[in-house]
Amino acid sequence: MITRRNLIGTSAVLAGAAAISGRVQAASIPEAVTTASPAMQPPLTPASGPAYQPVVTLNGWSLPWRMNGEWKEFHLVAEPVERELSPGMTAKLWGYNGQSPGPTLEFVEGDKVRIFVTNKLPEHTTVHWHGFVLPNGMDGVGGLTQPHIKPGKTFVYEFVAKRSGTFMYHPHADEMVQMAMGMMGFIVVHPRDPQERRVDRDFVFLMSSYDIDPGTSLPKVMTMTDFNLWTWNSRVFPGIDPLVVRKGDRVRIRIGNLTMTNHPIHLHGPHFEVTGTDGGWVRESARWPEVTTDVPVGGMRAIEFTAEEPGDWAIHCHKSHHTMNAMGHEVKTFIGTPQKDLTKAVRKLLPDYMPMGTEGMAEMGTMEMPMPDNTLPMMTGFGQFGPLEMGGMFSVVKVREGLARDDYKDPGPYKHPPGTVAYEVKGDIPDAMRRSDNSTKPGNVELSVVKPRTNRQGGQH
Amino acid sequence: MSAPTCVRATVFRRWSTLWRHKTQLLSFSALLLLPACASFSPDGGMSVTTDIAARHLRKDVVAIRNDEDADAARVKVDDLLKRTLNADTAVQIALFNNRGLQAAYNELGIAEAQRVQQSLPPNPSISISRLSGAAEIEIERKIAANILALLTLPARAEIATERFHRAQLAAALETLRVASDARKAFYRAVAARQAVGLLEQSSEASSTTAELAKRMTASGAMNKLDQSRQQLLHTELTTELARARQRATSERERLVRALGLSGKDLAFKLPSRLPSLPNRPPAMKTVEEEALNSRVDLKIARSELDSLAKSYGLTKTTRFVNVLESGYLDKRVEERATGEHKHQSGFELTLQVPLFDFGEARAREAEQTYMQAVNRLAQKAVNARSEAREAYRNYRTSYDVAARYQRDVLPLRNMISEELMLRYGAMQIDVFALLTEARQRIAANANAVDALRDFWLASADLQAAVIGGAGAPSDSPSSTTAMAGDGEPAGH
Ligand SMILES: [Cu+2]
Repeated sequence: MITRRNLIGTSAVLAGAAAISGRVQAASIPEAVTTASPAMQPPLTPASGPAYQPVVTLNGWSLPWRMNGEWKEFHLVAEPVERELSPGMTAKLWGYNGQSPGPTLEFVEGDKVRIFVTNKLPEHTTVHWHGFVLPNGMDGVGGLTQPHIKPGKTFVYEFVAKRSGTFMYHPHADEMVQMAMGMMGFIVVHPRDPQERRVDRDFVFLMSSYDIDPGTSLPKVMTMTDFNLWTWNSRVFPGIDPLVVRKGDRVRIRIGNLTMTNHPIHLHGPHFEVTGTDGGWVRESARWPEVTTDVPVGGMRAIEFTAEEPGDWAIHCHKSHHTMNAMGHEVKTFIGTPQKDLTKAVRKLLPDYMPMGTEGMAEMGTMEMPMPDNTLPMMTGFGQFGPLEMGGMFSVVKVREGLARDDYKDPGPYKHPPGTVAYEVKGDIPDAMRRSDNSTKPGNVELSVVKPRTNRQGGQH
Repeated sequence: MSAPTCVRATVFRRWSTLWRHKTQLLSFSALLLLPACASFSPDGGMSVTTDIAARHLRKDVVAIRNDEDADAARVKVDDLLKRTLNADTAVQIALFNNRGLQAAYNELGIAEAQRVQQSLPPNPSISISRLSGAAEIEIERKIAANILALLTLPARAEIATERFHRAQLAAALETLRVASDARKAFYRAVAARQAVGLLEQSSEASSTTAELAKRMTASGAMNKLDQSRQQLLHTELTTELARARQRATSERERLVRALGLSGKDLAFKLPSRLPSLPNRPPAMKTVEEEALNSRVDLKIARSELDSLAKSYGLTKTTRFVNVLESGYLDKRVEERATGEHKHQSGFELTLQVPLFDFGEARAREAEQTYMQAVNRLAQKAVNARSEAREAYRNYRTSYDVAARYQRDVLPLRNMISEELMLRYGAMQIDVFALLTEARQRIAANANAVDALRDFWLASADLQAAVIGGAGAPSDSPSSTTAMAGDGEPAGH
C-alpha cells in the first residue's frame, strides 16, 4: 500500500525507513516515501546496513530504504508530478515519488537490492538500471527483457550492486516520451570500504531539457533540439542550489546527461579531473586536468577537485544558450538599430512598449518586466555586483572557510579580501593607443576583393 | 364575335308644364347638393405623415408651403447642424431639408386639390339651337349638364378622397424612406470614417515596421528580401488607406444628398465612431403582426382596393351609362304647315346599349381588376410578413455578429496583445511580432466596425420592413476594409 503524505515544512524528507505501516509489512512492500519539495535535502546517513559517505542531490533527495533480511528494499512509484523549475514556474512532469528527477538511490558495493516499482502513470513503463551489470531479465527493457509494467501494477527488480560508481535509472518503455517528461533518477554505488575514494562532499545531478511554451506547464515531448529549458535535476538558475564547499574539502561532482545533446560543463577556479564515468572509475594514470568536461548524451561523469581557493566559482554548461531560460529563438537582432525615436509611434499602438535590444540584451538581466504566467526570464539572477544575466544550467561552487562538515546552507555572497576585485581605472585616461594607429595608415595597403567569375568558360581549372 | 355596336337613343319625357319642369329642375338641383363639397384641409393633408413620423420616427415633419415654413425649417436645421450629428439629428435634418421629400409633399397637395375639385358638381351649360327644316322650325333650348358626372359625383368624390388618402400614405412612405435613407447614410458615413481612423493606425504600424526594417538592413540584421516585404506591406496599407479615405468621402457625399445639404452646411461634424451596440436587441415577437398593422404600403394597397371596390360598384351601376353627355332638353317643334308648335322636354341621355355581352364583359373586367387587387394585396401581405421576418432575422444575426465582435473578438484580441506584450518583455518575441499583432488587432476592430455598421443598417431596414415597406434589406456589404496583415502569422 502506498501512502503519499505531505510534509510539514518544506525541506524534510517525509519519512524514514522506520515509518512502515503494518499493512505495508504484511504486503511485503516497503512504503514509498515521497516528497513535495524541490529543495535540497540533507544527505541521508545510513541507519542500517553498511556505512558509507552519503551524496548530496542538488535540489533533491535520497530515497530511504528498509533492510529485509539481507535485501535492501526500495520502493519507487512512477507517477505524474509537479516540479517547480524555479520560483515562478512549475512544470507538469512525470517522475518518481513526488519529484522529477526521482530520488537518488544509494547502494553499497555488494548490496543485494530489491526495488519495487509501482506504475501510477497512465501508460505502461519499466525501469532500466543504467550502467549496471545485472541479470539480463532485470535490465528493464520493456518487451525485450521483461513484460511492461502496466498502470497500477508493481514489479520487483532484484540484483546485486557489483561495483561502486555512478549510475542512473530511467524508463525503457515509451522512452522518448517518458524521458522528455522527466522520468529519471540518480544511482550511486558506494565502495564497500567507506575510506576508498573518499571525498568530503559528493554532489550529484542529472541534466535534462524541456520545451515548455511560456504560459504552459506540460513539456512538448516531440521537440528534438529546440528546447527552451536546460535543467540540472529539473531546476534552472536561479532555482538551482549552490554547491557549498568547505575550503580544503575534497569535492566530487557527479553529472549525468539525459538530454538530447552534449554539455561541456565548465568549472571556474579549481581545476578538476574526471575520475569516473558510468563505465567505472578512471585509473589515476589515465586522468588529466580539465576545466571543462564534455558530458555526452546518455553519459555520466564524476569530476573531483580539492577546494583550495575560497570564492564564488561559477559552474555551468558552456553552450551559452544552455545558460538561458525560455527565449524566443526567432527574435531578430536589434543591435545597432536605433528605436528610441520610434517609441512614440509604437506606443500609440502598444502603450506599454519599451524598445529593447539596440545595445545588446544585457538590459534583460536588470529589467523586471511583467511576464506571461508560468515562464521565466531568459536571463536573470543577481549577485553582489549586479545582474548575473544567466539562466538554465548554471550554478555556483561556493568555497568557504570554516563550514561545518554537513553544512550545505548557502553562505551568501563571497566577501572578497580588499584589493582582490577587478576595479575601474580612474583619473585622466588617455585615449587608448592602438597598434594599428602608428603603423600603416589606411590606404597604404590596398586589398581588392575580386568576385570569382561565374562564367565557367575559358581558363577555369 | 361581332364588334359591339353603339346605338344612340334619345329618351324624351314629356312634361305637362314648364312649371313642372322647373320643379323637377329644382329638385334635381337639390340632388346636386347631396355630396358635401370638400374643402382644403388646414394641414394640407399632412396629418397622416405627421402622425406616422411622430409615432414611428419620433420626428417632426413639415411641408414647406411658404416663406415662414421655410424660415422655421431653416432655423431648426441650422440649430441641428451646429452640433455633432447623430442618427436622429441626421434623420430630422433630412425630414426638414430633403427637397425630394418636399416634392412628395407637393404631390400630396396636388391630390388634395384634385379631391376638392372632384367633390364639386359640374357646371351646367345652356344652349339654344334652332333648326329649321322644310316642315317645321325646331328651337331647342338645352341646359346641358354633365348628368353622369352629377350622378357619379358621390362616387368620384369618394375616389378622389381615397386617392388623396393614398397620396397621404405615399407621402408618409416617402417620409419613412427618406428617414431610413438618412439613417443608413449616416451609419455608413460614420463607419467609413471610423475605418479610415483604424487604417491610419494600421498604416502607422506598418510605417514603423518598414522604418525598423530599413534600419535593420543598415545594421546588418535584415536582408533585402525581408526588408522589401516590410516595405511592400506598408505600401499596400497606404494604398488601402487611400481607398478607405475615398470611400469615406463618397459615403459623406451620400449623406449630404440624403440630408439635402449644400453650401456652408457641408461643414457638418460627424462623430468619430458608431453608436455602441445596445446591451440587448429589442425583442420583437410580433414582428409579422406589427408589419401587417403598420406597413404603409399595405395601407396604400388596402386603400387602392377600397377605391376599386367603389369603382367596381360604379361600373355596375353605370354599365349601361357609359356616356359623358346627358342633359335636360326642352324642345319646341313648330309645324310649318299648321303653324302649331309643341314643346318637347325631358332628359336626354346618351346610352351605350350593351350588345352581345359587352356590359357583362366590363363588369367582369372590373371584377377581375378588383380580384387582381385583392390578390395583389394578399401577396403583399405575404411578402410583408416574409420581409419582416427576413429583416428581423438579418437584424438579429447582425446583432449577434456585432455582439460577438464586441464581447468576444475584441476582448480576445486585447488579451492576445497583452500576452504578446508580456512575451515581448520576456524576450520571447520581438517588436515585429507586436506590430503584426497590432495590425491584426486593428483589422479586428475594423471588422467590428463593419459588423456594428451592418447591425445599425439592419435595424434601419427592420424599421423599414415593419413600418415603411421599403422592405429590401440593404446591400449589406461584407467587410469593405480588407486589411493587410490580417491572418498573417505573428512574426515567426
Ligand atoms: Cu549544455
